[in-house]
Amino acid sequence: MKPTTLNSQFSILNSILLLGLILLIVIAIAISVGSASLSWSELAHDETARAILLRIRAPRVVAAALAGAILAVAGLAFQTLLRNPLADPFILGVSGGAAAGAAVATALGWGKYPGLVQIIAFAGAAAATAAVFLLARRREHTDPTRLLLSGLVLNAFFSAVILIAFSFSTQTDLTAALRWMMGSLQGVTWFETLVLAAFLAAAMIVLAWMANDLRMLVFGEEDAKSRGVEVERVKLAGFLCGSLITGAAVSVTGVIGFVGLLVPHLVRLVWRRDFRVLLPLTALGGATLLVAADIVARVAIPAVELPIAALTALLGVPLFLSLLRRDA
Amino acid sequence: MLEVENVSFAYAESVALRDVSTRAEAGQLIALTGQNGSGKSTLLKVVARVVAPSHGEVRFEGRALVEWGGREYARNVGYLPQDPDATFSMRAIDIVVSGRAPFLTRFGWEGEGDFAAAAEALEMCDAGHLAARYLDEMSGGERKRVFLARVLAARPKLILLDEPLSALDAAHVQQFSRLLRHIVDRTGSTVIFASHELNWAAAYSDRVLVMRDGALAADLTPAEIMSPEIVRDLFGFDARTVSSGGRTWIVPEV
Repeated sequence: MKPTTLNSQFSILNSILLLGLILLIVIAIAISVGSASLSWSELAHDETARAILLRIRAPRVVAAALAGAILAVAGLAFQTLLRNPLADPFILGVSGGAAAGAAVATALGWGKYPGLVQIIAFAGAAAATAAVFLLARRREHTDPTRLLLSGLVLNAFFSAVILIAFSFSTQTDLTAALRWMMGSLQGVTWFETLVLAAFLAAAMIVLAWMANDLRMLVFGEEDAKSRGVEVERVKLAGFLCGSLITGAAVSVTGVIGFVGLLVPHLVRLVWRRDFRVLLPLTALGGATLLVAADIVARVAIPAVELPIAALTALLGVPLFLSLLRRDA
Repeated sequence: MLEVENVSFAYAESVALRDVSTRAEAGQLIALTGQNGSGKSTLLKVVARVVAPSHGEVRFEGRALVEWGGREYARNVGYLPQDPDATFSMRAIDIVVSGRAPFLTRFGWEGEGDFAAAAEALEMCDAGHLAARYLDEMSGGERKRVFLARVLAARPKLILLDEPLSALDAAHVQQFSRLLRHIVDRTGSTVIFASHELNWAAAYSDRVLVMRDGALAADLTPAEIMSPEIVRDLFGFDARTVSSGGRTWIVPEV
């Protein structure tokens, strides 16, 4: 017995280091490729080349890593809290709320004020979380089925809001909004990257703080309660955490689906362990996936940038179907 | 060690417990029987602190339940829900060692002592060979033993088991009943288990509590419950007794 346990502790640390290394390699590749090819000598002498690298490519790649980590961690948190492997910020309506807020703000012509669309998107995500949580909450108890159904209904409502907002939009706004809805990392600034980093760091601290409680939820709420876990408090904090970081991610990158659903699944396929182990591995996995997807989006077809959300969906659908088959 | 005093509990629409009073002493194997919906599960949940009673008080080792810290109480009292399961499959040893969680500090990880306790609990449940197996590769009986081991891993003084014999075939019911007796005899813990397997409950336990309509209807010795009148009165079916091997058994009338 002892060798097994020691080995597994050792391999957790190794796994984190390994995934971290893979992430760094993928980031290095992402920074080195793009529509403009940059050589070392150009970087040494050419001001424009340096600007492309430091002002455009680097923040974009770092933002992709942070948004990927955020979406994956939010998915893991929702799956753990709801004890449902299909739970995901998109299914719960949180991203829908953010997108609806952004669409309305764009239709009202607020796109000309820098940052305002993002703030409204963020407010939309927060409102969606509050709504989905209140709809599903009953006598201090949150029922997972009700929560998922509430998310479904809210998503339908947000779709209606988005369609109406689009019908009032001018042609230029419409293009901007569409690009936003498809998910895009174009034009991400260092400031936005910093915002994402702050939200991710805060969420990781809160989730790590509750990790020993969250890992007990896998055995059911009654079981967790009998073991001294303050279940309702942990759930409320977890949902707030997952929703706020999702809102932050959507407000910067637009709607990118499937990351929150896929990454925790893929990580669990390799590491079938509890929440404390899954949390860092999922963050690293999500970051790697989105940076890799962004590379493909930029270089797959010359002179065309593919929408990254379409790529994650193309990647996600077959994988998810195979996961479903495996589960059945 | 455990005192239940005038405890009542009501779910949204229905009363589940009515003025239940009883006590349990250390080292007893107590069967909690009664028809479906008689309040067995709810009584166990109240004692396990899963739900708070609407009236009355439960005291453990002389202190009211509300005076105990959640994790402190969990170090002393273990609870096995009716259908223990994990949303995501894990190795048996990881499941069992999670039973040590009430002993961990906030950012703490299980140490060698915790894994030793988990391995010992698995051995006691005759499941040591399952340690490295994953939950989704196990039979129903194996899962039950792993989850029982998870409760035992905390070495609680009071063990509450909700229907541990349900969904088991006859061979496993026998094995599990013997296991419960073995746990009480070996650890000196008190075990209270809900069951409607009347014969098995009586065969191995020291006391049989019978619930009816949310109230404690009877507190009997295993010998006393083996009576057609009591069975008809408390369980609502016609039965006769058969003596075999120096024991009396309840057999339903056909």
